[in-house]
Amino acid sequence: MKVFRAHILVCGGTGCRATGSEAVQQAVSKELAAKGLLDEVAIVETGCNGFCAAGPIMVVYPEGTFYQHVQAEDVKEIIEEHIIKGRPVQRLMYKEPVTEKAIPHMLDIPFFGKQQLIALKNRGLIDAEKIDEYIAREGYMGAAKALTEMTPEEVIEEVKKSGLRGRGGGGFPTGMKWSFARKSQSDVKFILCNADEGDPGAFMDRSILEADPHAVLEGMIIGGYSIGANKGYIYCRAEYPLAIKRLTLAIAQAKEYGLLGEDILGSGYSLDIEVYQGAGAFVCGEETALMASIEGKRGMPRPRPPFPASQGLWRKPSVLNNVETFANISQIVQKGGAWYSSIGTERSKGTKVFALTGAVNNVGLVEVPMGTPIGDIIFDIGGGIPSGKQYKAAQLGGPSGGCIPAGALNTPTDYEEIIKLGAIMGSGGLIVMDEDTCMVDTARFFMEFCQEESCGKCTPCREGTKRMLEILQRICKGKGRHGDIELLEELAAIIKDSALCGLGQTAPNPVLSTIRYFRNEYEAHIYDKRCPAAVCSDLFKSPCQHACPIEMDVPAYIALVRAGRLEDAYRVMLKTNPFPGVCGRVCPQFCANKCRRAQLDQPMAIAWLKRYIADNGRKPKIEAVPVTRKEKVAIIGAGPAGLTAAQDLAKRGYKVTVFEELPYAGGMMRYAIPEYRLPRNVIADEVKDIEALGVEIRTNTRVGKDITFDKLRKEYAIVVLAIGAHNSWKLDIEGEDLQGVWGATEFLREVNLGKNVKLGSKVAIVGGGNSAIDAARTAVRLGAKDVTILYRRERKDMPAWEHEIVAAEHEGVKIEYLVAPVKLVGENGKLNGVVCQRMKLGEFDRSGRRKPVPVSGSEYTLSVDTIIPAISQSADTSFIPDGSDVAKDKWGKIQLAPKSKNKTAADGVFIIGDAATGPATVVEAIAMGHKVAQDADAAIRAKNGEPAFKEPEEEKIVIPFEVSEELVETPKGAMPEMEVAARVANFAEVELGYTKDMAFKESCRCLRCDAEV
Amino acid sequence: MVLTIDGIKCEFTQGQTVYEVAKENGVYIPVLCHHEQIKPVGACRVCVVEVEKARSLIASCAMPAEDGMIVYTNTERVLKARKLAVELLLTQGHHNCITCESSGNCVLQDLVYSLGIDTPRFNEPEKLKELEQANEMIVRDMNKCVLCGLCVRACNEVQVNQVLDYAGRGPTASVGPAFGLTYENSDCVFCGECVRICPVGALIEKQGRFKGRGKDLELVRTTCGYCGVGCQMDVNVKDGKIVKVTTPREDAPAPNNGSLCIKGRFGYDFVSNPERLTKPMIRVGGELKEATWDEAISYVAEKLGSIKKQSGPDAIAGFSSARCTNEENYLFQKFLRAVVGTNNVDHCARL
Repeated sequence: MKVFRAHILVCGGTGCRATGSEAVQQAVSKELAAKGLLDEVAIVETGCNGFCAAGPIMVVYPEGTFYQHVQAEDVKEIIEEHIIKGRPVQRLMYKEPVTEKAIPHMLDIPFFGKQQLIALKNRGLIDAEKIDEYIAREGYMGAAKALTEMTPEEVIEEVKKSGLRGRGGGGFPTGMKWSFARKSQSDVKFILCNADEGDPGAFMDRSILEADPHAVLEGMIIGGYSIGANKGYIYCRAEYPLAIKRLTLAIAQAKEYGLLGEDILGSGYSLDIEVYQGAGAFVCGEETALMASIEGKRGMPRPRPPFPASQGLWRKPSVLNNVETFANISQIVQKGGAWYSSIGTERSKGTKVFALTGAVNNVGLVEVPMGTPIGDIIFDIGGGIPSGKQYKAAQLGGPSGGCIPAGALNTPTDYEEIIKLGAIMGSGGLIVMDEDTCMVDTARFFMEFCQEESCGKCTPCREGTKRMLEILQRICKGKGRHGDIELLEELAAIIKDSALCGLGQTAPNPVLSTIRYFRNEYEAHIYDKRCPAAVCSDLFKSPCQHACPIEMDVPAYIALVRAGRLEDAYRVMLKTNPFPGVCGRVCPQFCANKCRRAQLDQPMAIAWLKRYIADNGRKPKIEAVPVTRKEKVAIIGAGPAGLTAAQDLAKRGYKVTVFEELPYAGGMMRYAIPEYRLPRNVIADEVKDIEALGVEIRTNTRVGKDITFDKLRKEYAIVVLAIGAHNSWKLDIEGEDLQGVWGATEFLREVNLGKNVKLGSKVAIVGGGNSAIDAARTAVRLGAKDVTILYRRERKDMPAWEHEIVAAEHEGVKIEYLVAPVKLVGENGKLNGVVCQRMKLGEFDRSGRRKPVPVSGSEYTLSVDTIIPAISQSADTSFIPDGSDVAKDKWGKIQLAPKSKNKTAADGVFIIGDAATGPATVVEAIAMGHKVAQDADAAIRAKNGEPAFKEPEEEKIVIPFEVSEELVETPKGAMPEMEVAARVANFAEVELGYTKDMAFKESCRCLRCDAEV
Repeated sequence: MVLTIDGIKCEFTQGQTVYEVAKENGVYIPVLCHHEQIKPVGACRVCVVEVEKARSLIASCAMPAEDGMIVYTNTERVLKARKLAVELLLTQGHHNCITCESSGNCVLQDLVYSLGIDTPRFNEPEKLKELEQANEMIVRDMNKCVLCGLCVRACNEVQVNQVLDYAGRGPTASVGPAFGLTYENSDCVFCGECVRICPVGALIEKQGRFKGRGKDLELVRTTCGYCGVGCQMDVNVKDGKIVKVTTPREDAPAPNNGSLCIKGRFGYDFVSNPERLTKPMIRVGGELKEATWDEAISYVAEKLGSIKKQSGPDAIAGFSSARCTNEENYLFQKFLRAVVGTNNVDHCARL
C-alpha cells in the first residue's frame, strides 16, 4: 500500500458540496500537481463531516487541522503554507465565538469534543466510495463474526442485550423486532431499510448513507442473517441522489468482495440487497405504506395487525429498520451488547444522532450519548443562538414531535423523558427557534406539512388536519375566535386517538405542544390581535411598530427624516409618545429587536433617529385643554407612567393633579437614570408640555405625609398610583448594615438630587443590568479609583445593553464574571471587604439560561470600601395605611384585581409603572399610562351611563414612500461619543447625537416594511 | 375462543373481525367504509372501538378478534371520536340532501342523524367541484364523495376491472380513473358496481335523476332478461314506468350478489321504447302485418314443415340466444334435433 506523508480530507457531503467543496477538491489536486506533490499528499473526498455550518470543510492529517469555509482561492495558501512550509493557516481555522481564538485541531472544537461517535464513526474520515477504507476501519468485521461464529439466535440475543431501540422515531426494541421475525415461519423473508427520511430539518440518514454506506449494508447483512432473510431492500427517497449513488456503488463493491450475494464469506448465507427509490411521499416512511410502495402500490398505510414481522412485504415476514439503527449493529456485534448498553440512560441505550438546525450557531450533525441534556446539545455543541437572540424553543421530532421550551432544557435525551414533555425523540431532527419565531405560525407550518402529506385514507388525518390548519391559519390572520384554542385541543386529542397510522396520530403534536407551552401567544393572536414575535404579518403594518409597546409609527417618522420634514416627524412621534426625547436616549428598542434590516446587516438605529428628531425638529405648540368633566383625578408619582396618564386624562377633559415627593418631575427617568445618559433639560422640556395641557404637578409633596392617602381618595374620583420602584433590593447576606453599603437606586437618587455623595475609592457593584452599569459609571464620575462589577453569570447573560457595558469598560470599570458576594466584612462599622464566591454554570433555569452554582472552597475577599447592590428594586408603599382597601401582600406589594393589569382591589384606584410590574422601561411605563387613562375614563363613563369616549380624529400626515433601489449592506451608523478622558470627570451627555448627514444616511437604510404592495 | 364486547361474552372463530363478532351478537357498531363483500381497510374510523390495553382507538372492521379481548363500543371516548369523524365527513365537500338521489338511502345521512350532529362546527366553504355527467349512465358528484374507497375496492376486488384508484394526497386526495380521466375516457366498462356500493350520493344512475327516490319507488325484484346467468335485480318503478335498475347494497341474493353488467344495470330503456315490437308480425307481399300469436306460430310451423318436406331437415338450422335460460336452450336444441331432425343447431355464445 502506498504511503503518503499527509492527507487532505475534503468533505463531500451534500451540505459542503452546496457551498463549493467540489471546486475546492479540484483546486487541491491542481495545486498538488503543480507543486509535484501528488506522490506525497493524498486527497480524500469524505462523506459528511457533520459540522455543516462550517462548510466547505477541509481536515489535514496527520495533524488533524480543521479548516472551515474553505474556498478554491484558499487552496494555494494552504498547500504553500501548511503542506510545504508546515505553517497551518490561522485565518481559516475555527474561532472560539467569544474569545475569537483559533482552535487548530478538530477534536478541540467544542462541536466535536462533546460528541461520541458510533453510528457516525467513519464520518469525515473515509472515502465513502472505497470499500477498502471502510474495511480498514474494522468494516465488515461484525458481519464476519455474526455469520461465521454466531447463530442467528445469538446475534439477536446480543442486540437485545445492547438495548438498541429503533432510531427512526418509534423506539421499538430492535432485538425484539428481530426475534419476532425470526420466529415467523416462512420460506421467504425480507430485511428492509427505511431511508425515506422526510422530516423537515432532518438529515442524519442522508449523511450516514453518504458518509458510510457500508455500515448500513453490514447492519442489514447481520439483521438479514438473524431473521433468515435472503432479500433486502433499501427504500431511499429519490431526492437523495448522492446517497443512492454511493449505496449502489457500495452494494456492487460488497458483491465483488463476496460480502453480499451468494454464500457470503463461505458461510452458506446469501443476501441480495436492492435500492428502491421512493417518490417523495412523507407517508412512505410509515412501515406498511413503505412496503405497499415497494410492492408497486400506492403508498398507503394499512391497519395492523397483522404486523410486518408476520406479514410484511408481499405478506411475508419482514423487518424494517431505519438507517441509523443499522449503522449501530456491526459495532454491537463486534464489541458486545453489554458495551453498548453501558452508554446512555436506564431505558435509552447507546447514542443518538441529531440533525441540529435552525437558529443555532453550529448547524450540523451531532451524535451524543443518550441522556445528554437537550440544552447541552444546543448550547455547548451547537454554540447557542446567533446574533445574541434569546432561545425560545426547539422542535424535536419534526412534524410529529413537539417543542422543548426554555424551562425544559435540562431534559435528558431519553425516549420516555422526552415524551413526558409532549415531544418525541423522532428520527432526531432538532430545530432550534429563537425569540423571533412565532409559535402559532410554527404550529401552522407543521400542520400544513402534515395535511399535505396525509395520504388521504382515514378521516381524522385527512379532514381533521385540514380543519386544524384552517383554524391555525385564521388565528395567524387575526381572525381567530373565542373557543378556537379549545377546538384545536379537542380535534388534536381525537385525531391522535383515532387516526389510522403514525402520521395522523402524531400530526397534532406540534399544536398541542405549542398550546401547552405558549398558550399566551395563541391568546395574544386571538384576543389582542397581536403576534408577539412580529411574524404573522396580517396582524401589523411593520414589525417595529408592532413590537413597540406604544406602537410608534417608526417607518413613518424615519421616512419623514429622510424627506427632511422634521416637524411632521415630531408630530408622528407625539401621537403615541409624550417623551420622544427621553426614549430617543434610553429606550431599549423592542422595535429594533424585530427590525427586518437585521436579516441583511444590522437593525436600524431607531432610537437615535428618534432623538435626532426630538433634538432638532420644531415641536408643535401645545394648547391647554379646557376642563369639561366634574370628576377629578389624582396621580401619585410624576414618572413616565403617571405623566402619560395625566396627559391623556387632561386631553379627555379631566382636571388632573400629580403629586410628586421629590423636587422635580420625571420619576425614575430623573432620579435613576444618570444625567450623562439623559440630560435634565430633555426631561424638563417634555414635562413642560404636559403641564401646558393644564396638568398640575405638585412637587415636594409626599402622599402620606403632606396629604393623607385617605383624603386623596375622598377628593379625587380616580387615584392612579404611579410611584415607581425606588427601593433597592438587599443582597440578604451578612454585613449589609455596614457603612459603605448603598442600594443602587438610593445611591443614584442622592446623586441625582445634587447631593454631595461621598464614595470610597474602591467600589464594587453587584448585578448585571443597566442599573449596575449606571451605578458603576456614576461612581467613576464621582472619583472612585477602582470600580468593579460583580456578576454571577457570563457576559452574554448580562441584561445591560452591550454598548453601555462597552462604554463602562472604556471608562475603566472592571467586570468580574461568575462571582457572587456571600458576606460583607468591615471594621468599626465600616465596610472594608466583600467575600466573594466563584460560580460555575450548572443546569438551565426556567428562563433557559444556565444557573450559576457556587464553587465550594472558591471564596476570596475583595478589598472594597463601598458596595452597591443593583440587583432589583421594589416600590415604597408605606404611605398606604395598613388595613386600606388597596390590598398589599406581606412584602408590601400592591395587589392587582383579578384579570386586570392596572386595577387594584379598591374601586377607583389604579396602579401602573414599575410599581405594578417591577423595574421595567420608560416605553412600557408610557404604554401603561395610556391604558390606565382609557380604563379609568371608561370606568367613569360606564358608571355614569355615558357613551364611550370617541378619540378625536387623528391628524393626517402624508408619509412619503421612497426606498433605495439597490440594497447594499450598510451597518448601522455609529453614534458619536465624547472622548473618554473628557467625560469621566463630569456628567455631560456622552452620546452626542446624529448630525443631519448621519441621520439622513441612517434613515435611508429603512426597508419600509410598512409599505402595502 | 371468546371475547367480551360491552360486557357480553361472545364466541367467535379464528379470522373473524371484532365488527363481525359484534354484529353476530346483536351489538351495533356503525360502519361507513366497510362492506361485507369487500376486504376491510379501516379508513373512515366510524367503527372505532375501545380495546382494553390498546394505546389508541381501534377500527373494529379491520381488527381480528382475539381470545380474551375486552371491547367497548360506546364509551364517551368512542362516541366523541365517532361523532367527530362523521362531523368531519359531513363538512367536507357539499352534502345537499334536498336534491340528492340518495336521500333516505344514505349511510352518511343516517350517521349524522343518529349521532345528532346538529350544527357542524367547521364551515369554511370548500370549492364546488363540477359534476361529471358526460356519459349516459353514471353521474359523478365528487362534492359528495367521502373518500371511503368502496368504489375503488369494488372496482378492483369485486369486478376486477381495475379502473378506479386513489389519486392525490391530503386535501387533494380523490378517487377515480387514472390521470383524472372521466369514466367514459377510461377503461371503465360501466358495470355500475361503484354506483351500487357508494354509501352516499357521489355516484348515481344518470337516467334515474330527478325521476323519483326513496318512498316514491316501488322495487320489483326480477331476473335480468339479457342472458342466462339469472342475475337478480330490482326494477325501480314509479307510476308504472321504470326509473332505474338497482341491486341491494347489502345481503344481495345469488347468483350475482348484487353485481350486474352494463346491460342489466343500464340497458332498460327499450322497455318503454315506442319502436318496440309488442305483437307478432307476418310479412305479406313485402309488408309487415300484425298477427295473433296463433297465426304467427301456425305460420312458422307450416313453413318449417314444408321446408323439411321439400328439402329435408338439414335445410333448417337453429341459432339460439344467450338471453335464454339453460332450460330454454335445452328445449331449443331438443326441438331441432328431435322434432325438426337436424343437428344444425348452435348458440350465439360460441361465436
